[in-house]
Amino acid sequence: MCIWLPHGPAQRTGAARPELDQRQALEELAAWCRQFSPLVGVEDSPDPECLFLDVTGLEHLFGNEASLGQRILDALDGRGLEVRMAIADTLGAAWAAAHFAACPGTRQSACGHGEAACGLARFPVDPKPLSRTRLVIVPPGQSQNALRPLPIEALRLPRDVVERLHSVGIQRIEQLEVLPRSDLALRFGPALVGRWDQATGRRSEPIPALPPVQVFRARQDLEYPTARREIVESVLQRLVGRLAEMLLGSGRGAVRVDCRLDCQQSGGHSPPYDLQESGGHSPPYEAAEFSIGLFRPSASPQHLLGLVQMRLERLRIAGPVTAVSVEAAATAPLQRRQEELFDLDGCGPRRWSRRLLAGLVDRLAGRLGYRAVLRPRLVPEAQPELAYRYDPLLSPSPPAPFPRRERGVLIESLSRKARQVGKRLTTGPHPGPLPKGEGIRGRGPGRLATAGDWPPRPLRLLGEPVPLSVVSLVPDGPPLRFSFRGQEHRITQVWGPERIEIGWWRGPMVARDYYRVETAAGQRYWLFRRLADGRWFLHGTFE
Amino acid sequence: MYTICGKSASMLPGNDNHPNLGTICGQARGPLVEALRQRIAQLEGSRQPKSDVPLSTGCEPLDQLLPGRGLHRGTLVEWLASGDGSGAESLALVAAREACREGGALVIFDQARQFYPPEAARMGIDLDRLIVVQAASRTDNLWALDQALRCPGVAAGLAWPEELDSRTFRRLQLAAEQGGGLGLLVRPEEVRQEPSWADVRLWVRPLPCGDPAAGRRLSVQLLRSRQGGGGSVEVEFDDEARVVHLAPSRARPADRRRAARA
Repeated sequence: MCIWLPHGPAQRTGAARPELDQRQALEELAAWCRQFSPLVGVEDSPDPECLFLDVTGLEHLFGNEASLGQRILDALDGRGLEVRMAIADTLGAAWAAAHFAACPGTRQSACGHGEAACGLARFPVDPKPLSRTRLVIVPPGQSQNALRPLPIEALRLPRDVVERLHSVGIQRIEQLEVLPRSDLALRFGPALVGRWDQATGRRSEPIPALPPVQVFRARQDLEYPTARREIVESVLQRLVGRLAEMLLGSGRGAVRVDCRLDCQQSGGHSPPYDLQESGGHSPPYEAAEFSIGLFRPSASPQHLLGLVQMRLERLRIAGPVTAVSVEAAATAPLQRRQEELFDLDGCGPRRWSRRLLAGLVDRLAGRLGYRAVLRPRLVPEAQPELAYRYDPLLSPSPPAPFPRRERGVLIESLSRKARQVGKRLTTGPHPGPLPKGEGIRGRGPGRLATAGDWPPRPLRLLGEPVPLSVVSLVPDGPPLRFSFRGQEHRITQVWGPERIEIGWWRGPMVARDYYRVETAAGQRYWLFRRLADGRWFLHGTFE
Repeated sequence: MYTICGKSASMLPGNDNHPNLGTICGQARGPLVEALRQRIAQLEGSRQPKSDVPLSTGCEPLDQLLPGRGLHRGTLVEWLASGDGSGAESLALVAAREACREGGALVIFDQARQFYPPEAARMGIDLDRLIVVQAASRTDNLWALDQALRCPGVAAGLAWPEELDSRTFRRLQLAAEQGGGLGLLVRPEEVRQEPSWADVRLWVRPLPCGDPAAGRRLSVQLLRSRQGGGGSVEVEFDDEARVVHLAPSRARPADRRRAARA
């Protein structure tokens, strides 16, 4: 298939994007066209005007060739592009048909009758009247017939060859057929025979396919700098839409999108060029940049735009925006899945679904920051506040867990060291006889318990243990009463102590005796006594 | 309302001056009482609970206490905690665990950064389906809660909003209704006089327990519910096994009777 854009690819946005030359714009369009065909190329000429699509074997996906063509035509219409398209057996025939096939009667002329109806006399004069049909389909095997009535320009020949042919009175392709091929090559150069053979299929011609687009970037320079939010928003909307098209074309979704607003440096007294609030005394920025992360790759323009807008609301810029650019800095293959009425791989319709949650996680992380949306992970660690770790759900690569082997080596070497100094290393509860309590469990030195082995832990753990004044009967005994937030609590029940002694090789030594206590009112707290100095702390509450 | 009153007055026999309408159980008055109840429920402005299966709170006696025999998806539930270490959060988390049983994520809005995941894991919360949101401000926290409740992939959201103005509260309720998840709000008991948009408001108070080997005793009072009902129940919370059952012996006879009747 050949798509000819007689007015170039930048018809709609021509003035706004002068930085793109014809070829770049065509390549962008070619990337977008990948949604129709896996093999898309730009015409191989110094001044390209055409796209080639390989649609072999694709027509049944769209019904037939005509509906495929119509669909592409409609989509291009939606982009505001005026095109002519042709589908033929060879690249050359398609190109010729797109440029020079005259009217709906082409099919008939291709079949050998009704030639006069095509009004071929006009061709050499003006090859670009576009009031004719926009989609030409040359049936399979009919390329040669279809080419016959077309002017020789349809063979994509250099201008001088065309002129020489004209000078000897050759206007149409069928006139070449009566001449001996060897003479043609001698008199008009190899290009003529080569192009002719390519058009008729005697010589194969590959589509100059573009490499897959790897950089997903869209940028627009504003003609006049603006600080108006609606304008910036609408520009972003267009750019994000273009970005989503590029992503869709290559079957990828954005995982991270970087946005950048280039701002004019405001000199001297700066007027409040802000999208929302006044800038105050913030130093003028050259560019405002922000990036959004996604939980699940997405190429949906609405979703991406929603996230971008959420950030834009809080953005502060230094001056009028002169250019806006959007880039998908990290992408991943789109996970396409068939929508099912009932998810069979889950246990119910409300299963844990990345698909359903992705939008939520993106929005939360977009506004609160990715460090605020977390997934907890348990860590085999005796010290209560280190027994878990939060990983951001959106982090591109979650930090690898602490390698176990290394830890073993560490403990081993330290045990050796401990043996040398004649000390016993204990991790976990106190090994000796303790008063009543459930913390007494035989654990060998160096063994780390998992969370399931612990006595109950509080549901709320204070970030920093709070120092308490505690009354206890004997210096090492359980607590009797304590005061917290100005309130006196009498302790009626005590469970413990549970000794936790760990981590001295990591820095400050941690050795604590934990008590679960219940007050006279039935409230439960988690207290510990620091063994180093005997001071009491509140560490959590059993909510 | 006015017409109903008139109608009921005309339909009630003249000699009936029983003070408590709820105890009327005559054959003829059954439908009337039922109609009045429905009317009251309508005036309350609550969405009639859908015919879906009620969601267990994970605590059999508490389910019996609730008029719908459990909680309903798409609603808010308030747990009023009586001071620190009251046990309200544990009960809420057990209810969240039950809500996630059929799939969906649990989102915890831990603005205070005190939530302790290892204990939640011990209570049977699947950490792979848990999202913890640590918002920096109260506004952000409520915004995030609202967003999460609107998401159909979220089975339950647990938050500690201390202050809730009526509009925000209503918005959260609508969000839960839209998303179909369960919104669990653990709040201090001081707010119990404030108006509520929650479907159920429960007041959890710890009770001193004499026996160190026994589980933890909590009194749960149903302060208000859209479907009416009230009363309280004593439950025992087993720290080790993480199951909740009716406190065996020391439940007050009245409570036991109520629980049995329910």
